[in-house]
Amino acid sequence: MAGTLALAEPFKVGVCYDLSKAYTFATPQVSQAAMDVAKLINMQGGIGGEPVEVIVRDHGNEPQRGIECYSRLSREGVFVFDTLSTPVSLAILPRAMEDGRILMQSLVGRGDAVDGTVFEWVYPVGPTYWGQMANDIGYIKQLHDDDLSDVKIGYIYFDYPFGQEPIEILKTLSQKEGFELLLYPVPLPGSDQSGAWSKMRRDNPDHVISWMLGGAHVVASKEMQRNRIPMDKYISVNWLNEVDIANIGAEAATGLKRGTNVVGGQDVPLRLEIINKLYDEGEGSGPLVNTQDVYYNTGLAMYSIIFEAARRAADLEGMPITAESYKKGLESLENYDANGLMAPITVTAEDHGGGGKTRIEMWDGETWVPQTDWIAAYGEVVWDVVRESSSKYGE
Amino acid sequence: MDWVFLSELAINGALTGLLYSLFAIGLVLVYKASSVPNLAQGGLTMVGAYVVLALARDLGMPLWLAIPLAAVVMFGLGFGIERVALRRLAGRPVVMILMLTLGLDIFLRGTTLAISGGTSRSMELGVSYEPLLLGDIFISRIHLVGAGVALALFVAFIVFFRTRTGIKLRAIADDYMASWSVGISVERGVGLSWALASVVAVAAGVIWGEIQGVDQALSLLLLKGLTVAVLGGLDSILGAIVAGIILGVIENVGAEFLDPLVGGGSRELIVAAVLILTVMIRPHGLFGRHDIERV
Repeated sequence: MAGTLALAEPFKVGVCYDLSKAYTFATPQVSQAAMDVAKLINMQGGIGGEPVEVIVRDHGNEPQRGIECYSRLSREGVFVFDTLSTPVSLAILPRAMEDGRILMQSLVGRGDAVDGTVFEWVYPVGPTYWGQMANDIGYIKQLHDDDLSDVKIGYIYFDYPFGQEPIEILKTLSQKEGFELLLYPVPLPGSDQSGAWSKMRRDNPDHVISWMLGGAHVVASKEMQRNRIPMDKYISVNWLNEVDIANIGAEAATGLKRGTNVVGGQDVPLRLEIINKLYDEGEGSGPLVNTQDVYYNTGLAMYSIIFEAARRAADLEGMPITAESYKKGLESLENYDANGLMAPITVTAEDHGGGGKTRIEMWDGETWVPQTDWIAAYGEVVWDVVRESSSKYGE
Repeated sequence: MDWVFLSELAINGALTGLLYSLFAIGLVLVYKASSVPNLAQGGLTMVGAYVVLALARDLGMPLWLAIPLAAVVMFGLGFGIERVALRRLAGRPVVMILMLTLGLDIFLRGTTLAISGGTSRSMELGVSYEPLLLGDIFISRIHLVGAGVALALFVAFIVFFRTRTGIKLRAIADDYMASWSVGISVERGVGLSWALASVVAVAAGVIWGEIQGVDQALSLLLLKGLTVAVLGGLDSILGAIVAGIILGVIENVGAEFLDPLVGGGSRELIVAAVLILTVMIRPHGLFGRHDIERV
């Protein structure tokens, strides 16, 4: 728990995370980053002269427990929540909308919540899965000299909402650009993919976009080897980390690509400052090894944004920060790069995503090498799908 | 019709199915002695893999030593579960024992999460992932190794159940009251079945851990393993082997035809259909005893 200043009521963030079930591959690193950022801010005097606090609770990826977490922390004065779970985010969203509390839902939840005209209190800051998929296609288009008409793109995905979500965008872009789209559903938890990859070998797509998590990437890489499919065809969703690379084997993973929304690696100024001021002094919020993971960087980026918005709220409206002033703080973020961890974002009352830029990077056997600048492709196509979907909210 | 492709799907499906058989054998062993589907077999499989990694990675033992040592540790754990938890439930309704195994599974998952965290770790058996070519058919070597282990365990247990100790276990499975009355220690027999199931869990944990990494997801093998065990007959080791092959082939080949029709997701539908139809039409499964019927 953060909080070294004995001052007034702190600005609190409710971190209702799945710390025991499906999302444990990422939540320890992200929540540790949240606590570290809060500690660092408190060491530097807090925000508006008051300390900040992150309250971490486990919801086990169960919507009901997520709602309980939201309700309990609301009674304790929390009005900014982060769930890092799609089912929990979906469960909390109607309440947050009704109560006028802020629901941060970076990387999870409804993609159409970037539409601030409909989802007034929901902020999926950063790229949604729809935007990320559009950017992947934009990257592939660059590789083929802006012509996808003779290109085959395979999509291997968990056959549940997380993996199914980008299919609509893929189909739309397939029609627009003329590429052939091949779908390969995989049941959870992705331990048996032999049929999908045998079929893939026969279909021979030019690129394979993967929307899977954790060990499923490891299974996929081994199936690719069995089917002699080159690793450089594989473009993963952002949920592929250093642990997965180690389990695949650093050498075997060479050529593998991922779309990322944050800067990878350990030479990140904010991380280095945290190591220097917290971990070297024995004040870190968890194991040092967790800070060497891209999901830790993801947490640093998410909480840089969350606390920057609080800082701006304090500057704009003064203390104490309220849900309304915090909302104004968020919507004043302009070209903010989350301490160098993300492409600059600009959040407005209409666009709660902030731009949705990602970049493709490739594992070269030792480290991640960027293959593109930060890109946001097919913005209009994505926004058409967003508006189509958001217009149905509440029907 | 591309017969070579269908053959590849069938062969790889059969091999994958045998890996589920490997898991299901553990379920069968416990069921034979206590007439309860052991819902903690997924948790035991995960723990077995973690014990191997603890010995191999944390204590620096070679895998050839860590795996049999882990089997010894798990053998003791299996006996311990009977002694500490199951023995107290003697004479209670079967549903209470079933709930105990469910609670045990949650306990094992929670404990390993607290001790080892949620981060996935690799087993690194050293098996090549280059395909084994059978003409134009690409076969996975690790699946072949796992299928071999399943068949080896099948043979070992067939032999075991013909030994004096094995015959006692069969007697307990047939009628534990009669076994008791002739001086067979039912508690020891049930404990031994849990211990053997825990050893099988090590084998399943090592093979599946090599394929998908060692983490909490290993416990999710329960659903597929249970389907195989039910289809084969909950008390039949031969049934577990045959059912694994059948389910693996149906699932892999069937999904090729059904996925395009239903837009994906047919693999789980196939598994669910097999489970439901088995329970409705043939509750004792392919090779199970006919006294396993619906209540």
